[in-house]
Amino acid sequence: MSEKTSIESKEWHALPGRAALFMIVAALTIAYLQSGEPVVDAQQTGAGIPRTVEGRPDFSGIWQTLSVADYDLEPHSGRVDAPPGAGVVKETNIPYQPWALQTRAENFAQRQVADHTRLNCFSLGVPRSVYYPEPFQIFQRPRDITIVRQFGAVRTINTNGTKHPEGPIGFWLGDSRATWEGDTLVVSVQDFTDQTWLDRAGNFHSEALQVTERWQFIDPDTLSYSATLEDPDVFTRPWTLEVLLYRHKEENFQLIENYCYTLPYDEFYPYPPFEDQVREP
Amino acid sequence: MNKLKRLTGRRLLMLAPILLSGVPEYLLAQGQWLPTFEVVPSGEWTAARLEDGQPDIQGHWSNTVGNQDNFTDPRGGIPGDPTGAGGGGAAAIGTNNPVGDRRQRAPSRVSDPVGGEVPFQPWARALQQEFLANFFNPTKEQYIEPLARCAPGGPIKSLYWHGYEIRQYPGYIVFMFNSSSRIIHLSDAPHLPESVSLWNGDSRGYWEGNTLVVDVRNNNGKARLARTGEFHGPNAQITERYVFANDGSAYTYHATIDDPEVFTRPWTVTIPAIRYQEGSPLNGWHYPAFAAEHDGDELINEVWERTCVENNGNHGKVSIQ
Repeated sequence: MSEKTSIESKEWHALPGRAALFMIVAALTIAYLQSGEPVVDAQQTGAGIPRTVEGRPDFSGIWQTLSVADYDLEPHSGRVDAPPGAGVVKETNIPYQPWALQTRAENFAQRQVADHTRLNCFSLGVPRSVYYPEPFQIFQRPRDITIVRQFGAVRTINTNGTKHPEGPIGFWLGDSRATWEGDTLVVSVQDFTDQTWLDRAGNFHSEALQVTERWQFIDPDTLSYSATLEDPDVFTRPWTLEVLLYRHKEENFQLIENYCYTLPYDEFYPYPPFEDQVREP
Repeated sequence: MNKLKRLTGRRLLMLAPILLSGVPEYLLAQGQWLPTFEVVPSGEWTAARLEDGQPDIQGHWSNTVGNQDNFTDPRGGIPGDPTGAGGGGAAAIGTNNPVGDRRQRAPSRVSDPVGGEVPFQPWARALQQEFLANFFNPTKEQYIEPLARCAPGGPIKSLYWHGYEIRQYPGYIVFMFNSSSRIIHLSDAPHLPESVSLWNGDSRGYWEGNTLVVDVRNNNGKARLARTGEFHGPNAQITERYVFANDGSAYTYHATIDDPEVFTRPWTVTIPAIRYQEGSPLNGWHYPAFAAEHDGDELINEVWERTCVENNGNHGKVSIQ
């Protein structure tokens, strides 16, 4: 075993970090149980965040990233099909296995025709559906959090103590089960199809992908979102992306359905076209 | 106890020929449809409310009299079917053969006018007939029923195309259909500008006792109301009334369609629905749920992600001949 592999293996497990995290979570959980009130970490959440009747952070609202993550998760200069971006990957670059780096290069070369997820208006997967440049709406109940996008399947994040079903299943959005760690919603997502890309630049994953998302307020109108992606078939170690999500506050702002997979046959209905639908060329 | 409660709740549905053989949901789960239903009367809401005061009608629902094969004769099959078995694809097998004579089958989805026919203007009737005549052998793109291509069903047809879930939130009601979703805004905020047209329309609603009243605008008029080709235009104004029974077992949907470009008068669609819940038989059409895994003893059913176009999961013919 080479030295490099050994280091990666150690990072993969990252035991000291996880142990520390566990201690923090355990302390918060004990504090929660003792006080009967949700733990508010003022440093993490800021003051005055919206809360549900049960005292949880209330993520209800319409959100959207301002990042260019969907164009390319990694740092990149401006190009014909993407505005420039400093990247949203904490480790700067995605730690691909050598074969996967080659596949990503092939994807990149074909990106304007091969990004089937986006070009066919399919459900975008997780985390891509979070940083795709269209608004999405969060609806929240104690038992679950529902994410409706302008197209694609509705996503349910279960917060009722239920577990992942036995896989593999091949969901487009994965299967989401979450717990609260203080004011942070921690979501475990798995059972993915391998059909979705992570961005327009050809970054990809396999069915073995497991995502851990962390959603939390940094102020009443801004969410911090991170996703840690583990996929031992494609990456050499877990890696994390981070974006901010901003609340839409425009007057009467609402989602507008965008079932763009219907566009190839849109012109055939209704038939014959009504006068006010005939557009100037 | 629970089961007893459910059984008595079903008294709402007048099902004399069927009551002996079990509650309706079991028959429906076996692929049968119910030939009749009782309209839930509008009135007060006396049952549970959510924290924001809305009647609590959350859960899984599905219609009882037939799928989307035939609009005015839901159990009449699709006229012109060369096989005699209907052209609805696997999901509809066993459900679309004509049953008995017309008097023994479920009523037209058109409740007004009383004759059960859509009051089309002549040109629109001709279009519907043209669509139907070409349904089994489509020679043009427009003869392909859009839902076969996984297009959203629109606000009306979505209610007899698979079971669906309703979730409620302060200010909103969310419908999660087999193909697409729909958000009802419980506000008087203005509709989207007229030039924005949508498969599922733009909805503003409010509660009136046990009745959810919804004004649907911004329709694109692209969905067909059934495989028999009925339709409304893009400028239709649809007023929906969802009337919920206080025992939580059923609701009746009425939609009045006002579209003088296409019809000779406003007319009304009526669709019955019953609730499915833990203990109901699981069924891929009406109640495509799975028992969730968890450490407790209680049964928690959940519906998984519903995709269509992603899986190339069309519903019937999608290519021209």
